Amino acid sequence: MTASIIAALLAVQFDTTPRPLMAVAQTVAINVFVNRMDAWAFNQDWAQGVGPGSWSRNLRLGWEWDEDAFPTNMFAHPYHGGLYFNSGRANGLDYFRSVPLAFFGSWSWENFGETYRPSLNDWFMTSFGGITLGEVFHRVGATIRDNRASGMSRFMREVAALPVDPIGGLNRLIRGEWTARGANPPEHNPQDFVLRLGAGARFAKRFNGDATMTTGTFLLDLLYGDQVGQPYTGPFDVFNVRLVLTDYGGLNALRASGRLFGANLNNPNGRNRHMLAINQRYDFYKNPAQSVGGQSVEIGINSRWPIGHKGYAIRTAIFGDGIFLGAIDAPGTGLGDRNYDFGPGVGARWEFALERHGARFLRIFSQLEYIHAVSGASADHIVDFGGIEAAFPIMRGLGLSASSTVFGRTSRYSDGRARDARDYPEARLMLVWWKVGFGQ
Amino acid sequence: MKHALILVALALLPGRSALPQKAPTPERHRRGLWGEFGGGPGYVRIACSSCTDVVGATGATSYFRIGGVISRNVVIGFEVFSLLDNAFGFSPQDSGATAETGTAAIILLWYPGRHGLYFKGGVGAAFGQFSVPVDSGGGGTAVADTSTGGGMGLTFGIGWDIAISRKFALTANATSFVTALGDVVAGSRRVDDLIASMYQVSIGFTIR
Repeated sequence: MTASIIAALLAVQFDTTPRPLMAVAQTVAINVFVNRMDAWAFNQDWAQGVGPGSWSRNLRLGWEWDEDAFPTNMFAHPYHGGLYFNSGRANGLDYFRSVPLAFFGSWSWENFGETYRPSLNDWFMTSFGGITLGEVFHRVGATIRDNRASGMSRFMREVAALPVDPIGGLNRLIRGEWTARGANPPEHNPQDFVLRLGAGARFAKRFNGDATMTTGTFLLDLLYGDQVGQPYTGPFDVFNVRLVLTDYGGLNALRASGRLFGANLNNPNGRNRHMLAINQRYDFYKNPAQSVGGQSVEIGINSRWPIGHKGYAIRTAIFGDGIFLGAIDAPGTGLGDRNYDFGPGVGARWEFALERHGARFLRIFSQLEYIHAVSGASADHIVDFGGIEAAFPIMRGLGLSASSTVFGRTSRYSDGRARDARDYPEARLMLVWWKVGFGQ
Repeated sequence: MKHALILVALALLPGRSALPQKAPTPERHRRGLWGEFGGGPGYVRIACSSCTDVVGATGATSYFRIGGVISRNVVIGFEVFSLLDNAFGFSPQDSGATAETGTAAIILLWYPGRHGLYFKGGVGAAFGQFSVPVDSGGGGTAVADTSTGGGMGLTFGIGWDIAISRKFALTANATSFVTALGDVVAGSRRVDDLIASMYQVSIGFTIR
């Protein structure tokens, strides 16, 4: 009886009833808020001039390609798209029902939020990137928050989750859920996870001539769920994120990949495991020597072969992908002030790793992508990225990490320009701390 | 006796039977492997990086879809769509070109209710082919300069399955396609970073 009363109270406090109209209203509110902030606080002409005249012009002329900087198009817009997506997730809509909000929010912003003609690359990047980052941020936010906590700890958790999931945090604040105690949502606990933080030095060539440049670097790796250990329960029930920051260029890399679909390829109770997976992927790499990124979907097989009985195993992955829209810089590319191309593509990647209790201590990987430019130069680009990473434990949860990677590219132009090929080697040496909750 | 009479009276109330009844199972919109084809009028709007304005033209459209079922309300499919205009021009002065644009995409159809209304979304590859008459060969043979472009596209739409029978339906569609085709060189004209937006109203025949 007591349990049922508590359950009823919790149902009131953490109402998960879908509120689609509220989600749409918040998507519109985000656009109005951003537009008015740019108009009133930053005096931006493109925001101040919106009205029936710009709306009818934008609807009549339709899509074009814009000339914004690489980080704006490939990171800021996807982050913005995550706000639209999470207006759905924060209002009880599931992943699939939140997808249209990302497209609607971006489409309405492009046509009604600014005087510029709507940008097709923005629509792609904001929508697809917003879905990937939005779902990752929604789940990371849910993991940071703890509905069972109270006091200062609870408050700090709610505040810490704001940068990754501001829409979710604001909705919780309005609904009084910052202080209400109760059960956590299922995404709060990923069951298996590996969190790795690292800081150290990065040695890179070709940033500035052929000299080797040394910079500081910070790494965050998050494996949420286990690709082969957990049965598929829904989109992004398993995902991984890699964030790399440097003191030379800021955001160096952000990569997120979440499982859209998974299926067992052998007996789930077998010792060796093989799972088919379809992943949605977001890629952003930016430094003084290279800029590449895109939105893609990949299909392939994740496998795990245990070695002995002390938690050691071999992990492999082999995937093929389709890039909805990628972006890459290369000599002679771009449009106007923009110095990179946009285009769709295809690719493949493989990975071999040795792990103990889910934490990889040796990883060899390679990725090959082809991008056909549809905006910028008349060009086809081939990108290959591969390397080796190793971690050496010093004590429990602390170790040294060394990695060496090579990023190569070849660009072929159809207008008679010479083929351009170059590579960018780099190495990293870091002190890493990790926390593992795996198979426990 | 009084209670028995009340129970009998309740049981006889139309639609309010006191006896447990099996809930009717709603019909699936499409089952197993399904296919659909159709056509109708369309409109294409071409924009490019060096263009000061956009060019619009009407044309005939056709499409074909084939797919399977994910759940009671969601079906997945592969769609090929094309728009053909035999009197196309990149400017009002040249209207002798033939333009064919289209997409080959993975699509999802979502039926929000029991009725046949659905919403469509999809993403895939896009193509465009433009043939411009540039000269006349000997013997009056027309010579055309043909250029093709390829890229990616998005499609969104709304439709309604009107059931003819359990196996067949007529399907009304209103759909938009946004495609990026890259650079196209048609005749003496070079069009950079071409974007073709297409709109279609169609009637299709569905085997479901």
